Amino acid sequence: MTVMDEKTLRSIIEEVVNEFAGGAPRGGTAVATAPSVSSASGSLRISEDGPAERGINPREVVIALAPGFGGRMTSTLIDLDHGDVLRELCAGIEEEGLSYRFIRVFRTADVGFIAHEAAKLSGSGIGIGIQSRGTTVIHQKDLPPLSNLELFSQAPLIDLDTFRAIGKNAAKYAKGESPSPVPVRNDQMARPKYQAIAALWHIKETQLCDAAKKTQALRVEYR
Amino acid sequence: MRSKRFEALDARPVSQDGYVTEWPEVGLIAMNSPNDPKPSIRIEGGVVTELDGKKRADFDMIDTFIADYGIRLDNAERVCATDSLELARKLVDFNVPRAEVVALTTAMTPAKITEVVGTMTVLEMMMAVTKMRARKSPANQAHVTNLKDNMVQIAADAAEAALRGFAELETTVGIARYAPFNAIALMVGAQVGRPGILTQCAVEEATELNLGMRGFTAYAETVSVYGTEPVFMDGDDTPWSKAFLASCYASRGLKMRFTSGTGSEVQMGYAEGKSMLYLEARCLYITKAAGSQGIQNGSVSCVGVPAAVPGGIRAILAENLIATALDLECASSNDQTFTHSDLRRVARSLMQFVPGTDFICSGYSATPNYDNMFAGSNWDADDYDDWVIIQRDLKVDGGLVPVLEDDVVAARNKAAKVIQALFRELGLTEVTDAEVEAATYARGSQDMPDRNVVEDLKAAEDLLKRGLTGVDIVKALARAGYDDVAKSVFGMLKQRVAGDYLHTSAILTGDFAVISAVNEPNDYRGPQTGYQISDEKWAQLQAIRQAISPESV
Repeated sequence: MTVMDEKTLRSIIEEVVNEFAGGAPRGGTAVATAPSVSSASGSLRISEDGPAERGINPREVVIALAPGFGGRMTSTLIDLDHGDVLRELCAGIEEEGLSYRFIRVFRTADVGFIAHEAAKLSGSGIGIGIQSRGTTVIHQKDLPPLSNLELFSQAPLIDLDTFRAIGKNAAKYAKGESPSPVPVRNDQMARPKYQAIAALWHIKETQLCDAAKKTQALRVEYR
Repeated sequence: MRSKRFEALDARPVSQDGYVTEWPEVGLIAMNSPNDPKPSIRIEGGVVTELDGKKRADFDMIDTFIADYGIRLDNAERVCATDSLELARKLVDFNVPRAEVVALTTAMTPAKITEVVGTMTVLEMMMAVTKMRARKSPANQAHVTNLKDNMVQIAADAAEAALRGFAELETTVGIARYAPFNAIALMVGAQVGRPGILTQCAVEEATELNLGMRGFTAYAETVSVYGTEPVFMDGDDTPWSKAFLASCYASRGLKMRFTSGTGSEVQMGYAEGKSMLYLEARCLYITKAAGSQGIQNGSVSCVGVPAAVPGGIRAILAENLIATALDLECASSNDQTFTHSDLRRVARSLMQFVPGTDFICSGYSATPNYDNMFAGSNWDADDYDDWVIIQRDLKVDGGLVPVLEDDVVAARNKAAKVIQALFRELGLTEVTDAEVEAATYARGSQDMPDRNVVEDLKAAEDLLKRGLTGVDIVKALARAGYDDVAKSVFGMLKQRVAGDYLHTSAILTGDFAVISAVNEPNDYRGPQTGYQISDEKWAQLQAIRQAISPESV
């Protein structure tokens, strides 16, 4: 059985078709700005709070969300609620006694660049970038954008425990420690099952990019 | 009530795969899209003023790059005006020599070549690939990685893969900071298995170049190009920056090929409504324009996308064909999982296995797939016997040879011991006797003891800071008493100075002689021409360990 039934898939496709028919400009530059408030289905409530600033607190980790995360999209590829994902990341950071701050990147949906933006704005130089589908990177400001400290490239394999471990490790890097990387997982059948669907997901996310919009600070609340 | 037959069908592996219907408006279509541009070219005063229906003023950066550097203009207008069907027939017809076809294809526009191959069946494309492959003899490439980034296992797996016949080996990392260890283990292990094996470590571009400049790798392959401007921009790149990177490798005497493939643009969300094959054709002209000798293509890591739409596997063969027709080395993918079905994965690979390409897989997983850090290959170590027996069934040289267990165990053991000694000599982390023993007999990393990852990463970082290079490895191997391996690694470093292996489709023999499209060009002209399996090679391909000889009964 495919993971996603035909009906769900069709509805995603129709939604994207409608967005196209609605006159979204082609060519990857500006598209409508992501809405600031998540859909009613989750308890997560995200609002923008002006352009994101560079932090000076060496005991913080910055978490950067892709354009659609917790907004137009509400769950990862394996249906983890975005609110739960953020809760686990934060819990992992808090366990290490550090604080966190949220930003949203608009100019790209590439998780490497999103995570690098987080790292550059982070007082500790450590950031986490996360896409709507769940792909996550821990980054450090002095590394090249497409390198990383830890990369979790297979979104279908990232469960809530892994998100907590990611938060914890990011905090440890921020404290100058050298943690054991979160064990890498690998499922060679993730691609046959998910790749075409992940493509639809990413098409939606890139349509929310806005090359002209500065990275925004975010307020994240749970209702 | 459900049909018991349909219940059984639903439970089959093929029904686990994801499929989607065509959606041309966003580019979710393999080839022959109604939105693909019609071929056209206009040249005024030696400058292309119109390309595939677009005026020069409307060119994006990819159009400009291709128009200025990617097409042989002297003949371009005439070729564009020639009937595509007539050109397709010349591609298939073995009476038309390869060189004559290359003169035509390299004068085509991206839309023209897409239209030409769009008229062909997969059988016709396979005939064309047989003729158009640049190097006379086919070869194969393997992935050597593992879930734990265990470098002792990488060395052992590399030695075994070399023994099994692979001409190139590629590694990557689970954790990026392991890159130097993995690259060194792959190179040294490969040379233990068979001198002259080319190795690479696919990581972030600057790191990859650094590893190459130090002499830890012999070539690079993951220099990605894309068919639309926004996808390039997403990676902070342009065709010019990729061409610059290509020249960096060339200037250091390192072999290099680009990577591209159908489905990447739609996967990245910016296909501009064009078919996957048309966008891939643009990538191949960028590759040609940048002066790269070759390409890894065939959808590669995006294979799940074309494989999910109608005709996707045909499009993948079509893109390999375009690469060969542009006189590029073609490492033809067959390297990434796209299906749960054993039938589908074999059918997909026969498209390149039967005609033969420069590297049929790029690569074949030299470990069980659970250890494949490219997210799984279409073929893995558990399929070794299937591959060599299919070669024997069809009398096809797919780049591998049957091997004996004792030989494999001996090669693995030596590679593990060499890494143990090398790490000691270089003052890196300890490799225990238990690890050497485990790597000798391991199927995969589940059979390997855990290492102290934090200590390893510190040592790997320190190695880079100390400025170690390939020469230090040669010296350390010699000090450790492994003169033969030291000599082989030194032989690889000398290639970098000579530079002969930068020619199209180059691989090295066990004596470090270059075999390429220059000194052994494909001269296929029908039956009993081109690459022929020698009697000696055929005897080798027949000798599978499972066969019972009449004398023994």
